[in-house]
Amino acid sequence: MMQKKVCMLGGFAVGKTSLVRRFVSNVFSDHYHTTIGVTVEKKSVTVDDRDIMLVLWDLYGEDEFQRVRDSYLRGSSGYILVMDGTRKATLDTALALQQTALRTVGTVPFISIINKADVRSEWEIDERTIEQLRAQGWTVLFGSAKLGQGVEELFVALATQLVHAAPIP
Amino acid sequence: MKSRPGNLAPHNESLFNAVLSTLDMVVFECEEDSSEFRLQGLPPEWWRAWVGPADCTMLDLGRCSPFLQEYLTSAHLAWAGTPGATEKSGPWTEPDRQGGSMTLEATALAIGSKKLVLIERLGSGFKEMGTIVQRARERMLAEERTAKAYRKTETHLISKLEVSERTKDDALALLQHLGLAALVLDERGHITFASDRGLEILGMTAEAVIGREWEQALPLPEHDRMAIRELINTASDRRKACVVGIEGPRPSWVEIEVHGDPCHPGRHIVIVHDRTELHTLRRVLNEQASFHDLVGKSPAMLRTYQLVRDVAQVDSTVLIEGETGTGKELIARAIHSCSSRKHKPFIAANCAGLTDSILTSQLFGHKRGAFTGAVNDQQGLFEAAEGGTLFLDEIGDIPQQVQTALLRVLQEKEITRLGEAKPRKIDVRVVAATHHNLSEDVVRGSFRADLLYRIRIARVQLSPLRERREDIPLLAQSFLGQICTATGKTIERLNPDTLRLLMSHAWPGNVRELKSAIEFAVISCKTKEVLPIDLPPEIISAPVVPSSSVWIPLPNRDEKSRFLAALSDAKGNRTEAARRLGVSRATFYRRLVELDIDPR
Ligand SMILES: Nc1nc2c(ncn2[C@@H]2O[C@H](COP(=O)(O)OP(=O)(O)OP(=O)(O)O)[C@@H](O)[C@H]2O)c(=O)[nH]1
Ligand SMILES: [Mg+2]
Repeated sequence: MMQKKVCMLGGFAVGKTSLVRRFVSNVFSDHYHTTIGVTVEKKSVTVDDRDIMLVLWDLYGEDEFQRVRDSYLRGSSGYILVMDGTRKATLDTALALQQTALRTVGTVPFISIINKADVRSEWEIDERTIEQLRAQGWTVLFGSAKLGQGVEELFVALATQLVHAAPIP
Repeated sequence: MKSRPGNLAPHNESLFNAVLSTLDMVVFECEEDSSEFRLQGLPPEWWRAWVGPADCTMLDLGRCSPFLQEYLTSAHLAWAGTPGATEKSGPWTEPDRQGGSMTLEATALAIGSKKLVLIERLGSGFKEMGTIVQRARERMLAEERTAKAYRKTETHLISKLEVSERTKDDALALLQHLGLAALVLDERGHITFASDRGLEILGMTAEAVIGREWEQALPLPEHDRMAIRELINTASDRRKACVVGIEGPRPSWVEIEVHGDPCHPGRHIVIVHDRTELHTLRRVLNEQASFHDLVGKSPAMLRTYQLVRDVAQVDSTVLIEGETGTGKELIARAIHSCSSRKHKPFIAANCAGLTDSILTSQLFGHKRGAFTGAVNDQQGLFEAAEGGTLFLDEIGDIPQQVQTALLRVLQEKEITRLGEAKPRKIDVRVVAATHHNLSEDVVRGSFRADLLYRIRIARVQLSPLRERREDIPLLAQSFLGQICTATGKTIERLNPDTLRLLMSHAWPGNVRELKSAIEFAVISCKTKEVLPIDLPPEIISAPVVPSSSVWIPLPNRDEKSRFLAALSDAKGNRTEAARRLGVSRATFYRRLVELDIDPR
């Protein structure tokens, strides 16, 4: 089975772990337990009748004290940029991380998601900004790890891109 | 997996194992040409729990964990690099068999030809660090939430403020548009708002009034301040407006209305109306009641003032006609004062009762020795009045010969001093006055017709006081003021009965008589009010018109007694009695018959 390393990137507390856990185990906790280092989880998805094993690297969130180690990124086939809709600053972190990823792993497929769509009224990232991201070629999805909305779609969408990017064996 | 003892420390295996145990570490050596690793020494407890029995010494590490699998691809960097180089994996978390998790870190290094991988379990130090990071992040999130809440409240308040600012702006715009002049006072009497129009009327700037107590900010005389204070303290339903004078560079009169603020009890809205123009108009009207020492605002007097102004504009000779005491000289002075000659002399000469030669010498001057007693050269009044006005009173009384000389002077504009031959040029305006009917005098032959026409180019006729009784209170008050000032007495007013007596008196001596009566009264007066008793007896004895301040012609019954009184005062002299009553002799005789009075 095709196996693909996928990194979850984003500022701290945007919901990287929550998205992975919702996707892998279909659980969610309101309790915040920050990720130290990296936790690796696996789950297979089917794209175009082909099974593909996603190896999800749930990294610690980046902030001004902790830069993401290049070594964690190496070997990634794709990555997911997670933002927290209720915190505008997490967009800047995502933009910076995308540059890091580009430097480290080159132009591999990636998808961005603005998480916490269940509290849309509190969002600080506005439509115009989203349009600008899309205009520069980003795929921007909305989702909620809490409600499970857009989670499966997120991983399937990236898997699809990974499948199409990889030569058929 | 093959079971084989570790061979890294064959000489002191127990020491090696103790070190590994202390560091909580497991060590593997990479098998040449294989993906398998050989366990070195005794693995710690956690390793056995995670991977399986300790005797399993050969294993494919990549299969143990996807993380390790990925990591081992980069371990070659250390094995192939400079001797002693290491490649750390960074921490990662693995689930243990008990349902918990542990954080591990791998290090790849080469010692000699041996390619080694060390895996250690990160212990309490690492956990502590994790706790600190966790706390720091929770704290940051909490702070972000608080800041966000503040921002939200702030935005909310700002938008609310904007709305209220807009409402305020609208209200203000409306206020300014309506030109409403208003001030708002807070509970402490401080001015919290002033509309543009209000400031304009008060002649002040916003900086000078806003935030200040009204009593200090507004330049008001003390009595006006008191009036406003009273207004503010009066219950709203009994409040009336008051007019106050604003002092300062541009004094103004304003009417002040005070209303309670319906929204905030204790605060007041003060509406200001500009009444300066009204006041000015009123003052002008009052000023019209007097004119160059002339007092009166009866239509007759107002007409006279206008006539004086008109006549003053031209340089022609004027004849003033009026009974004795009507103020003919005042009129002459007023004409002079209004004219362009006002800065030049005004000379008054009474022509009555003077002989031919005295009058001639007085008017035209004489040369020394011109007649007995002419010891010096003397200039006459015409010369004295050069450039100004010569007032000739009682012109009807001048002798024929002087009339002729005067006519020549008026025609030639030159005079010849008595005893001299050479005439002198003069520039004098002549204003003449008479109580005669000069036309009758002309018919009678006592006055030259050509002279009359010469002097009567302009004509001012003064009404007797009885024909403008409405001026009596004003005149009386004015004389009272003048006389009090002159005598130092303080008499404030005329008693209403006194005024009534004055109003009903005939005033044959006109204004002059009224003035003497007031002088008499001031001397007699003992109180702050002129009482009827203070007036001269001939005025008191005249009957009083009951309770009316407006003059009503006296009824016949009173008229008869007045006629009788006048006859007795004049000791039977009918001409004098008629004069005292202010009627012509013909009228006097007719009324005697009508009233059935025997003149003897
Ligand atoms: N309302 C809401 N809360 C969410 C959602 N996803 C995650 N959270 C909460 O956000 C907090 C952070 O979630 P994590 O999944 O731990 O975030 P992370 O990105 O893994 O954070 P780090 O590991 O510290 O970088 C937790 O309290 C979650 O319960 C969501 O979709 N909606
Ligand atoms: Mg996490």
